Amino acid sequence: MLSGPPPPPPLLTLRRAAKNFGGVRALRGVDFDLQAGEVHALLGENGAGKSTLIKIITGAHQPDAGEIIVAGRSLTGLTPSLAQQLGIACIYQQPALFPDLTVAENIGLRLEPAGSMRRINWSQRRQRALELLARVGANLSPEAEVRTLSMPEQQLVEIACAVGAGARIVVMDEPTASLTSREQDRLFTVVRELRSSGVGIIYISHRLDEIFTLADRVTVLRDGESVGTQPVSAITHAGLIKLMVGREVDQLYPPTEFTGGEIVLELRNVGCAAAGVYNVSLAVRAGEVFGLAGLVGAGRSELARVLFGLTPADRGEILLCGKPITPRSPAEAVALGLAYVPEDRRRHGVVLELPIDQNITMAIHARLFPTAWLKLGTERKLALDFIRDLAVKCAGPQAPGGSLSGGNQQKVSLARWLATQPKILILDEPTQGVDVGAKSEIHRIIRQLAKAGLAVIMISSDLPEILGMSDRIGVMRGGKLTTILPGQSDAHAVMAAALGQELAKGAA
Amino acid sequence: MNRYFREISVTVALGLVLLVMAGFAPGFYQAQPLLSLITREAPTLVVMCGMALIIISRQIDISVGSQFSVCSIGAGLLAARGWPLVAVLPAAMMMGAAFGAFNGWLIAGLRLPSIVVTLATMVMLRQGLNLLQQGAFVNLPDGVQWFGLSQTVGQWTLVAAALSLLLACGLFMRHVAAGRWVYAVGTDAEAARLAGIRPHWVTFLVFVFVGALTGLAATMNLVQSPQIQPLVGSGLELKVIAAVVVGGVAISGGRGNVWGAFAGLLLLACVSPALTHLHVEAYWEKAIQGMIILLAVVADGLRQRGLKGGHG
Amino acid sequence: MIAANNQPSWRRFLLRYETLLLAVLVIEWLIFYHYGTSTNRRGHLVGFGTLDRQFDILRHSCEIGLLALALTPVILTAGIDLSVGSLLGLCAIVFGKLWHDGGLSIPLAAALTLVVGAMGGGLNAGLITALRLPPLIVTLGTYSLFRGLAEAITQGAVTYTDFPSGFLFLGQERWNGLPMQAWLFLLMAVLVWILVHRTTWGRSFRVIGFSPEGARYAGLPVERRVSIVYILAGIIAALAALIYTARLGQAKADAGTGYELFAITAVVLGGTSIFGGRGSVTGTLLGVAAIAVLKNGLACLPVVIRLNAAEEISGLLTGALLLVALTGNAVPTFLNYLRARRQAR
Repeated sequence: MLSGPPPPPPLLTLRRAAKNFGGVRALRGVDFDLQAGEVHALLGENGAGKSTLIKIITGAHQPDAGEIIVAGRSLTGLTPSLAQQLGIACIYQQPALFPDLTVAENIGLRLEPAGSMRRINWSQRRQRALELLARVGANLSPEAEVRTLSMPEQQLVEIACAVGAGARIVVMDEPTASLTSREQDRLFTVVRELRSSGVGIIYISHRLDEIFTLADRVTVLRDGESVGTQPVSAITHAGLIKLMVGREVDQLYPPTEFTGGEIVLELRNVGCAAAGVYNVSLAVRAGEVFGLAGLVGAGRSELARVLFGLTPADRGEILLCGKPITPRSPAEAVALGLAYVPEDRRRHGVVLELPIDQNITMAIHARLFPTAWLKLGTERKLALDFIRDLAVKCAGPQAPGGSLSGGNQQKVSLARWLATQPKILILDEPTQGVDVGAKSEIHRIIRQLAKAGLAVIMISSDLPEILGMSDRIGVMRGGKLTTILPGQSDAHAVMAAALGQELAKGAA
Repeated sequence: MNRYFREISVTVALGLVLLVMAGFAPGFYQAQPLLSLITREAPTLVVMCGMALIIISRQIDISVGSQFSVCSIGAGLLAARGWPLVAVLPAAMMMGAAFGAFNGWLIAGLRLPSIVVTLATMVMLRQGLNLLQQGAFVNLPDGVQWFGLSQTVGQWTLVAAALSLLLACGLFMRHVAAGRWVYAVGTDAEAARLAGIRPHWVTFLVFVFVGALTGLAATMNLVQSPQIQPLVGSGLELKVIAAVVVGGVAISGGRGNVWGAFAGLLLLACVSPALTHLHVEAYWEKAIQGMIILLAVVADGLRQRGLKGGHG
Repeated sequence: MIAANNQPSWRRFLLRYETLLLAVLVIEWLIFYHYGTSTNRRGHLVGFGTLDRQFDILRHSCEIGLLALALTPVILTAGIDLSVGSLLGLCAIVFGKLWHDGGLSIPLAAALTLVVGAMGGGLNAGLITALRLPPLIVTLGTYSLFRGLAEAITQGAVTYTDFPSGFLFLGQERWNGLPMQAWLFLLMAVLVWILVHRTTWGRSFRVIGFSPEGARYAGLPVERRVSIVYILAGIIAALAALIYTARLGQAKADAGTGYELFAITAVVLGGTSIFGGRGSVTGTLLGVAAIAVLKNGLACLPVVIRLNAAEEISGLLTGALLLVALTGNAVPTFLNYLRARRQAR
């Protein structure tokens, strides 16, 4: 074992890094190391702890336990600015650029030295921007305003900034999520060039093909733990999928009693170019829980927004109980009997400043108060009923939405839409950020609703939840509905479909 | 050139107005009245430069008019006591800067909304001035008007001073890092923070700067007349905001420059003399100015929509 | 927030901003009553304590009070309307012109004036909702436009006078003990209170102010609701114009100059958040009253009379009061901001 020179010390090492948020253990203990000149892929389901890990590496979060070693230095109290000085750069999916300023200026503001009274040399800025853009293979004018650029172009600007800053460690968070295949090829060339210049790249992606083409090693995260680091050459697609989902359904889901019912909602080739949804056809029956699986950005929430009239469909037909409908706004969708419990509770689901009762009646003003006159007693009674039925833990119907825990906020959001007595209920990540107890309560409620004859579409990134709750599972990828699987499918099949693997290739 | 669409279109509009004037009312181009017109607008131009910075940094200051009045009266009283202008000028600028610092402290320090803060300081400054001055005019000693020089020389001096300040401001905003920081903060304060800029300091200093400029402008106004009255600055805030907005500075911050604002100011300032020379009733001035502001923002709104639509 | 809700209702009432403002108002009133009232040589009461003076306060605060009422829903939706003062001027002129030059009867002219007010508000509403322009800048433009139109119509010189006494009754006489316009003001206050606090429309104003996206996701017709508040502001400004004209007996182009600032001050002083969502009509009424009592009460204090500076001192104090109220309003927001930052670390 002593033959050859000792390997160079890694650029970055994490030892048993752990992080808790309140009671939630986001990272339980992650070991990770990054060598100079390698592309190290990070893989895991949604919620496996990837984003927390990135935030620890870029200094946005402090780990509760464990050690970070950068270039041989053990660091406590890594801050974003210190991380920058150490040459750590992160390219997020949503670039943090100045939209009103030009590309050259965005690069300049990041890279130029401090000093408020120094002169700006515009030709030098321009020159440098051109150089850096050329190095990352971006064919952009330095004079273009960033807000006129597409998302991948903005990413390239970010990468140019990282290159210009002489970053040694570059974190790329799903950089290809919104790229076309040509843009993707160009990006890969950039990544390979970075690698050959000795930069270490942490590459996060859900696309297995990419990992096999680009990465040298891969680390799989599951439930906040690193479950294995392997050279890419030593592992197969099937082996990776197995590592990712290798856990039992650790929770009891209420059993389904669905035996069939009338078709309530039918989509025929529905699409919306602006939302990135193409050619979706499906039918949901009364009493059925239709699970929508897929990776983040696969177009599931976008499809829900199309149905709800937030970004109206420009193609295809939507039939509700056999009648074609065209919801052009949420108000119309509500009137038609659609209900959408959005993913971002705090921004869209519950108005945090308003009390619970007002939040619950918000979507049924027209029905509850036909004369526009508020009947506070009726409202209160309705709210109390829902608080009792859904077991919302709160100080009373007057407590502001912001005073509730995540699970109870979600119940209030749900109550608002149940109050509309919808024909079809779309749930978007109904148990995200919800503690375990509230989670199983929400599952029980969903099951009851289905039993009472409601058609439910449930979008979820939580694989066990999808498997445990759904009567059928639609899998989306790249804005299209690729497969519809029966409810008793196994995790491999769903994950493989979401990742875009042929079933034949997988271990199933 | 798309980036400067607005600046160019305002300049073209201004050029058209000037051409129409040349064709139909050549009397507009008499040297002396024109010079007087420009001289009268010189202090406004100075305040406008400050307002452009404020709006670029995504704030607003409606107290500049009151600041202007207070600085004018303050400077006038000092001059009446026999202070030489070289001492009056920095004193007025310090006074303005102090008001600006107060606004800036409330807005950047306590995170209060600038529109309401400056509304309050506007009322307080105005009424405080009325309280101390009771509406009385300040008579200025002989040597003050036109710096004790002839009227023409004095006018040219003022115009030159205002234009060089505009030039300095324009160059500063384009070629000095601090100037670019104002844009960065106005575009996205959070991104600015990530890029190592301290947004609240930038905001604070911008308010101090506009205060100092207002003091300067007050002094420039002082030397134009034998006496100064306490209402001298009323309405100034809306005039400069209008000029800045018409000139293409976005009220949402981060866009525009002082050149466009300058063209906007000239366009609005031309309305009144143009009406007179074209024998239209001068009472239409304000209505036409309002129309110009609305046209400018509507054009912006339509263009934004077009941009969005184009990108899907 | 939870803590505040667990407290008994009487404590919650005492902790409310409106209660605090009411207390300030009462103390203010008592001080002026004590120091501002005296007996003249004939043994009659003069100064602040007289009924006449109190009616005067009412009479003079009606127009600004109406504008403040109009602005309350606007600011609740996180908007602003700088044009209400100018619209008041324009409506006064339109009314005068219709009656004097157009030969219309007073009721018809008044009705048409209200329509003009609605159209003015509709212009604001259209620009703000259809083109998604910022309310601040739109209403800044119409601020100039409306005042300019008023000046253009009157050629800067004409004032309309000699209105029939039946109309002047509206602004100068008492009916059932109170000045006539106070009745109108009270009626509007009740109507706006009902709109804001007891109807689904008022509810949606708040939702829009707190979270326009949340309102959209809840299926509320955001654009239509926002339009309503600006159109309503226009109608109320027109009503204020009628009262203004009746009180002074003349319609002139500079009517209502600067009123928008006092109205905004009253609304914000009344506890309505400039960021939208939070606030009440009761607060606005108290804000209007606090400003009006301050202004008129100061005018009765001997020391102020000697200085002859009632307007100025009241202006100064109002501005200072506004800043204090604002700082108080901003404290929870600021604390939340600090908390959010701490959590982010």
